[in-house]
Amino acid sequence: MRTFSSLQKRKVVTESGRLLGRCHDLHCELTGSKLRVTGLCVGQTAWFAHLGVRSHDKHTTVPWEAIVRIEGKQIVVHDDAAGD
Amino acid sequence: MNKIFGLALGILAAIGGFVDIGDLVFNTAAGATFGYQLMWVIPVGVVGIIVFSEMCGRVAAVSGKAVFDAVRERVGFKAALGALVSSEVVNLMTLAAELGGVAISLQLLSGLEYRWLILLAVVGFAVIIWVTSFDWLERGFGYGGLCMLVFAVAAVKLGPDWTKVGKGFIPHIAHNNPTLYAYFVVGLLGAAMTPYEVYFYSSGGVEEQWSPKDIGLNRANAIVGYALGGTLSLALMIVGATVFLGHGISPEHLGTIALGAGDPLGKIGLLLALVGILFAVGGASIDTVFSGAYNLAQFCGWEWGRYRHPKGAPRFALTWLVLLVLAMGIVMTGVDAVVLTEYAVIFSVVALPLTYVPILLVANDKAYMGRYGNGRVANVLGLVYLVLIMVIALTAIPLMVLTNAGQN
Amino acid sequence: MSATEFDVGLHVLDHQLLDKDGRRCGNVDDLAIEGGPGEVPEVVALLVGPGYWGPRAGWIGRLAGWIGGGAKVRVEWAEVEKIDSAIHLKRDATTLGLGRGDDRLRPYVEKIPGAGR
Repeated sequence: MRTFSSLQKRKVVTESGRLLGRCHDLHCELTGSKLRVTGLCVGQTAWFAHLGVRSHDKHTTVPWEAIVRIEGKQIVVHDDAAGD
Repeated sequence: MNKIFGLALGILAAIGGFVDIGDLVFNTAAGATFGYQLMWVIPVGVVGIIVFSEMCGRVAAVSGKAVFDAVRERVGFKAALGALVSSEVVNLMTLAAELGGVAISLQLLSGLEYRWLILLAVVGFAVIIWVTSFDWLERGFGYGGLCMLVFAVAAVKLGPDWTKVGKGFIPHIAHNNPTLYAYFVVGLLGAAMTPYEVYFYSSGGVEEQWSPKDIGLNRANAIVGYALGGTLSLALMIVGATVFLGHGISPEHLGTIALGAGDPLGKIGLLLALVGILFAVGGASIDTVFSGAYNLAQFCGWEWGRYRHPKGAPRFALTWLVLLVLAMGIVMTGVDAVVLTEYAVIFSVVALPLTYVPILLVANDKAYMGRYGNGRVANVLGLVYLVLIMVIALTAIPLMVLTNAGQN
Repeated sequence: MSATEFDVGLHVLDHQLLDKDGRRCGNVDDLAIEGGPGEVPEVVALLVGPGYWGPRAGWIGRLAGWIGGGAKVRVEWAEVEKIDSAIHLKRDATTLGLGRGDDRLRPYVEKIPGAGR
């Protein structure tokens, strides 16, 4: 079991080492009584969205399936994950 | 008809409750030091508190959330915790200064011993708040505070040079002692834009379950109430300038400030001034102690409310009781109430951005506010005041150090 | 059953919890997520209490959490009735273990006259 706080603020990097940004939030889908996590909200615009400065739907979401592993202080994703 | 009556009463209470100890100290001192040259700062401060309160009130009406609910949800836990700690420290300092002011006015009215009066005041407040319905509390202190209008009468009776007064409304920088002048600008703005007032206002709005249809009425109440209350600040500055500047008196005691009204109006003026100060500062104490309790309760998610019986919100009730006791402890050390007031005002200026910025962001968030989000006027004003608030927040402590807290 | 999408940090975390009687009983301090990379992760519970402040604000959070009593309450996601500006729960606070601070203090407060008016 992990906590939201343990995922938040972690750096999100691709396998080849490219830094996509930090994870600021988790995108979720509520179906019936289950709340599924579908992706990571990554990058500057995501932080601004949380503050309410920019629109909420215009930030980069990395799908959860793109995650290779979660280690140390970062989350490693597939190279083609941030296909805006 | 009933609504207009209610609005009128609300405005009267707002006038009586506008002046707190920060306004008393800084406005008269500013007049005593710089004459009418700082008059222009008062309308700037009044518009500032109107802008801030209006946004907080609108957020409360649309989202049902008070300031600290919004702060915690929006700026992240760490920043919110920082904002909470700093606002509680500032609140406590302000509360101690207000209690000192209450004890001093009681002393001047009764001649009893200061330290006993502090205890009496605190016990009195605790009992009154515990037992009395909040509406009566607010009205009682608000109407009693209307005695402060004696300063307005005094200001006129003193027959100041009205051309000079008028010139004071044009913003300018004093040529002699610009650092001290800047310190007073910061202090006057800080005394006008007190954070505890907006916490109190927005929490009250949530409790009274304002909805978007209440926005107009409350905007009117805030604008008229604060604007009229601001005239009392103007009166204080005029009294400071005519009575004190001319005679080289520095109003370092509340008694001296009250004498400013006694000078043109005799004993009755002095008496009304002392009663007005007692009620205005007393009412401010209640607003301040509730604000401290609101902030903590909202941050922690506890049940809260001033209309709620203490058993409905036990931790909230314990919080304001503990705050009263802590503030009493501070005042009992014998620290000068006027000095404490200056520190409280300056520190509240430094902490002001921590709650102003989140509210400005939330008020702009269209997803949160729907069509009640900031329009162009609100945003222009909001941004202008953001810049102003950042400037005074950054310069407050340096100026206080440079001018030795205005003792220059 | 239609699906709703939202960012959980924005719409759930740090929001007020209200029990079935509308009583305020805490803020959402953290979320418990089950499932890792390669799985379908789910938010399984809300974590409520000062005991959860440490991971959110470093040593200041731990200190504040300690001052606050360090309580930790886990509220299963299934207990959530609906989400609007607050998180509404299906049952009452006491059953869920929430609002214990108020419940523990209430008997003392009630002893003082005027507390219930």
